[in-house]
Amino acid sequence: MNRRWITKTTHLCNISVPFAMRAPSTFKQELLKRWLQGLQLCVSSSKEMNFLERKKAIKLSADVVMASARAGKSYWSYAIISNALKQEESKTLVRNILGTEFEKLTKPGMEAFTSHKRVTSRSILRRSYISCRIKKIAPKRVQASSIAKRLVKKRTKVLRGLIPGGESIDEFSLLEESLDYILSLKAQVDVMQCLIEVSELLKDKSY
Amino acid sequence: MLHYQYITPEILAGKVMDLQWQQQQQQQQPQQNYLNETQFSDFSQQSHPTMQQFQELIDNDPTLRELTNRTMKVDPCSENGWPELGKYPIPRTGFVSPSPSGFATDSIEMMGYSISRTASSPPSVAEEKGRESVLTASSLGRESFKKRKMDKAHNSKVAAEDNKEKRAKGDEEEESKITEQNNTSTTTTAAANNNNSETSGDTSKENSKVSEVQKPDYIHVRARRGQATDSHSLAERVRREKISERMKYLQDLVPGCNKITGKAGMLDEIINYVQSLQRQVEFLSMKLAVVNPRLDFNVDNFFTKEMFPASTTSFPVGISSELANPAYLQFNNPVQQVVTCCGLDMAINPPEMTIRRTTSAPVSMPESFLDSSCFNQVQPSSSTWETDLQGLYNVESYQGRSTLFPSQPLSGTLEAATILKMEM
Repeated sequence: MNRRWITKTTHLCNISVPFAMRAPSTFKQELLKRWLQGLQLCVSSSKEMNFLERKKAIKLSADVVMASARAGKSYWSYAIISNALKQEESKTLVRNILGTEFEKLTKPGMEAFTSHKRVTSRSILRRSYISCRIKKIAPKRVQASSIAKRLVKKRTKVLRGLIPGGESIDEFSLLEESLDYILSLKAQVDVMQCLIEVSELLKDKSY
Repeated sequence: MLHYQYITPEILAGKVMDLQWQQQQQQQQPQQNYLNETQFSDFSQQSHPTMQQFQELIDNDPTLRELTNRTMKVDPCSENGWPELGKYPIPRTGFVSPSPSGFATDSIEMMGYSISRTASSPPSVAEEKGRESVLTASSLGRESFKKRKMDKAHNSKVAAEDNKEKRAKGDEEEESKITEQNNTSTTTTAAANNNNSETSGDTSKENSKVSEVQKPDYIHVRARRGQATDSHSLAERVRREKISERMKYLQDLVPGCNKITGKAGMLDEIINYVQSLQRQVEFLSMKLAVVNPRLDFNVDNFFTKEMFPASTTSFPVGISSELANPAYLQFNNPVQQVVTCCGLDMAINPPEMTIRRTTSAPVSMPESFLDSSCFNQVQPSSSTWETDLQGLYNVESYQGRSTLFPSQPLSGTLEAATILKMEM
């Protein structure tokens, strides 16, 4: 399965999808540049980090950079940034990485995106649905369509959990966001691999 | 305007096919008719065995071969179907669909259609018939084009005709595409006709559910033939079509989804893919943390000397901002290397790899090894990593390419592997 996935990656990078990036290679270049800057910031700020901390810092910086690159055009990017800001240890790092864009991105209007209001209203709705279902005890025949609907609902729930910020958006935009997110993740993976290769080469050279 | 171009070639194709069918039926060649029908139905399904039949058919018949050559020439110009129609005898139109994956198969399909149409009659006759039918069809098309521009009442008639033709073809996929395009065209026509108070175009990309009645904008949807026309079902249909459109894009994006048609299956695949990508990111960040113990991606000293004299990508001596450039240069290479080398399965096939590597630059060699090991690691089996790496390097040394791979990389990566194991 891996084989087809990877070949598809390069193939699809050339196909333009309407609401995703136009030129994937330039997106990757931009990602790389920003990420290296972010990592330098990360190093300068801190002390001796152990392995796990390093890994977290790398991942965090990569995510934040990816999110800032897609900031204007997608919802999950705001979700990533706001989640990162909520945690104390990563706040300063995020601030430094985002730099001047920080003020733009954390406008009060944007915070409404990740508002908890929608989430709570959803939970209230869900509870009411459940109670309604319990009331209707009449046994119906299980139809194929209802099974299919249940499956789809279960899976959309899982997908919401996967995509950052997916809990509070509707189904259409969930699909759109997942599309965007998949593309960005692919670009991120490529950038990381490239960086790994370069560092490996340099490490070998330095021996 | 673009949507009009989408619509009218299909009508043309439909009309041409109708005319051709009538002509063929009038001729007393029932056997060939049957053959054409089967070809027709075969080509409407896009499967590989039909391509073989197609090939056989072409090879057997020299006239067909000539025709295919002609249609092959027509193919590249077919994207601008509308202006080119007058020039070529066989109307080569495409079901120009928004999804790029469908394009290639569609073109083959259309070739099949055109071939099958003219199979029964000799080429010269077919040419003439083609020209006639093109002219008539184009005139019809222009008429319908004008109709659509002017009045919506006529549109419903044309749409009814469209639907009839579509059912004659009996291809679901095309129908959905066409109706999609129909709907988009209706929205655009609605936007064009500002006089009508009911309608205004609304792009489906925005976050609008039709059920939100507070909005003054409505999405104008034409009721298909034989379907309910009350607002609820229309709204549901719009919603379903939006979702299916997005699903199609996702289908193109997520590999291995060509055969899955249901929403639930597609969602499953998407979920798996997103999870695997996220896991990949995790693993790669771990690997980066290992490779670079001090997180100094400070690359001032990285490019002070030339790395490999035989390397195709030359790293300039530069400041850290220029790291980007050589790394970019590597983008093309590594990505392709990743492509080629990750064509391997879990079990690495060293001879295959070495054969491939003979044609590539030496710089890319270590990258490829790392990539293959990297992708082995996607499945959580870290214990096999060391053994696989060792196996690789051993094989490489057998092949006599040991000059570029001193033992240091081996020890370096082994060290890294042990670190990983300890930390994990």
